[in-house]
Amino acid sequence: MKNPRDILLKPVVTEKSMSLLQENKYTFIVDLKANKIEIRQAVEELFNVKVDKVRTMRVKGKFKRVRNRPGKTPDRKKAIVTLKPGNKIQLFEGV
Amino acid sequence: MKATAERLENNQVKIDVEVDAEQFSKAMDQAYRKLVKKVSIPGFRKGKTPRVVFENFVGKATLYNEAVEIVVPDAYMEAVKTTGIEPVSQPQLELVQVEEGKPVIFKATVRVKPEVKLGQYTGLQVTKPVSEVTGEDIENELKKLQERHARLANLEEGTVQQADIAVIDFVGRQDGVEFEGGSATDYSLEIGSGSFVPGFEDQLVGAAIGETREVTVTFPEDYPNEDLKGREAVFTVTVKGIKRKEIAELDDEFAKDVSEFDTLEELRTDLANKLKEAAEKRAQQQINSEAVKKAVDNAEVDIPDEMIETRLEEMIENMERRLMQQGMTMENYFKYTNSSLDELKNSLRDDAARGVKTTLVLESIAKQEKIEVSDEDLENEIIRMAKNYQQDPKVLRKILEGQNQLEYVRDSLQQQKTIEFIAGRAELVEGANQKEAE
Repeated sequence: MKNPRDILLKPVVTEKSMSLLQENKYTFIVDLKANKIEIRQAVEELFNVKVDKVRTMRVKGKFKRVRNRPGKTPDRKKAIVTLKPGNKIQLFEGV
Repeated sequence: MKATAERLENNQVKIDVEVDAEQFSKAMDQAYRKLVKKVSIPGFRKGKTPRVVFENFVGKATLYNEAVEIVVPDAYMEAVKTTGIEPVSQPQLELVQVEEGKPVIFKATVRVKPEVKLGQYTGLQVTKPVSEVTGEDIENELKKLQERHARLANLEEGTVQQADIAVIDFVGRQDGVEFEGGSATDYSLEIGSGSFVPGFEDQLVGAAIGETREVTVTFPEDYPNEDLKGREAVFTVTVKGIKRKEIAELDDEFAKDVSEFDTLEELRTDLANKLKEAAEKRAQQQINSEAVKKAVDNAEVDIPDEMIETRLEEMIENMERRLMQQGMTMENYFKYTNSSLDELKNSLRDDAARGVKTTLVLESIAKQEKIEVSDEDLENEIIRMAKNYQQDPKVLRKILEGQNQLEYVRDSLQQQKTIEFIAGRAELVEGANQKEAE
C-alpha cells in the first residue's frame, strides 16, 4: 500500500473546516488519484483513530493569468473524514 | 498580586511585583480578542480565527507582549499604592517571568520623592518691611486720579504744545515717492508720547491749527521695516485740530466727580486707607516669601533630575500659553530673543530646581506639623474661587471634580497654610537692626 503521507497531503485550515470540527469532521487535501478506501486507511493508520465515513470532492483549479497568458492552478481533491464518536485528531501542526 | 518595595540609593525604589496566573490568563484572553481583529489569516475572515490557529500563526510571544501591556501598568499602579511610594518618574520595567499558567513577575525601578531633611523653620529671622504710607504717596495717588479724569478740550485756535493731542493728516514721502503705511488722515497723535519716529512729534510743536508743515525725519537703524530703516523721509503734515488736557482742580467738586465721596478730605482718607491696606498686604507677602525662602535654604534635599525636568516642562508650557494669549508662537519668541529651547531651559533650570525644592520642603513641613486641609476649608476656597469667576460654587465644584483638579486646589491650600504657619512663627526684625547684624 502507498505511504499514508502520500495520500493525505495537508489539512485544510479555514473558517469552514474549523467549524466542521464540531461535527467530528476533519478536512484534508488528498492525492488526486486517491479513493475513499485509501483515505480511510491512511487516516486510521496515521492518526490511530476509527473512521466513520469519507466524502471526497474534486476542486477544480482556478484560471489565472500571468501577463495575459492563460494559466490554471492545479486541481485538487478534498476529503472530509468523519470519525466515529470518541475519536479525535490533534492536527494543528501548522501546515 | 504581591508587591515588595526596596529602597535603593539616589532616591530610587525597586518594586518586585507578582501578578497572579489567573489574572494573566485573563489578560491573554483580552489580548487575543484585541489582536484577532487586526490580523487577517488566509482562510479566515478578520476576527474569526480560533485562538489555537491564531496562536500558531502569529506566535505566542505576540500575545504575551500584548497581555503584558495590559496587565503590567495596572499592576504597577496597584503596587505603587500598596507599597505607599511616591514616584516622580516613569518606571523602568524588567520582566522576570512571563508564561501562561504561571504568575507574571516583574521588577520596576523608579525614582521617588526624595526625603527632605528639614532645617530650622520656626523662629526664622525675617526683615520687617516698611509699610508706612506718607502724605506724598497720597498726593501722588490724587495726581494720578486727576490725570485719569482729565478732560480733552478742543482748542479753537492756538499752537501745538507738548502733551497736547494733535489731530493731523500726514503723507510720508521717500525721495518724493509715497510709501506704504506712511499716510493717514484724522490721526490723533499725543505730542511727547514717543509713538512716532523720534523727532516727528517735536517738529510739530508750535504749529497752529490749519498750518501745514514739512517734517523731515530719519528712521532709526533698528526700525522693523527693512525698506525704511536708516533712511530719510519727508512727511507733509496738516494740523487740523488740537486737543488739550484740562486737569480739574483738586477740590470737593473733583471729589464728587471721581468718587462717591462728597469732600476732598473724605476722598483723601479713603485713599490713605486703601494705600495702607495695599502696603500691608505687600509687606505680609514679603514676610511670607522671605520666611519660606529661609526655611527652604535651611532644608536639605537631594532632588532627582526627573523632577526638575518635569517642572521645567511645566514652566515652558505655561510660558507657551502666555505667549499664545499674546498671539505669539514659541518659534517667533525664539526668533525675537535670538535664543533656543535649550538656552531657555538652561536659564530656567535654577528656578525650576528652586521651585521643586520649595514644594518639597513645604510638603514635608506640613506633614511634620500635621497641617491639614479640612473639607470645610476646601468648600470655602471653592466659594471664594467661584466668586472670582462669577460662577455658582456648586457648578465650579463639579467642573473641578471633572478635571480632577480638586486635589490640586487642596494641595495649594495646604501650601498656603504652611506658608502662613512659617511666617506666623518667624521673628520679625526691624530693617535697621538687620543691617547692623550683618
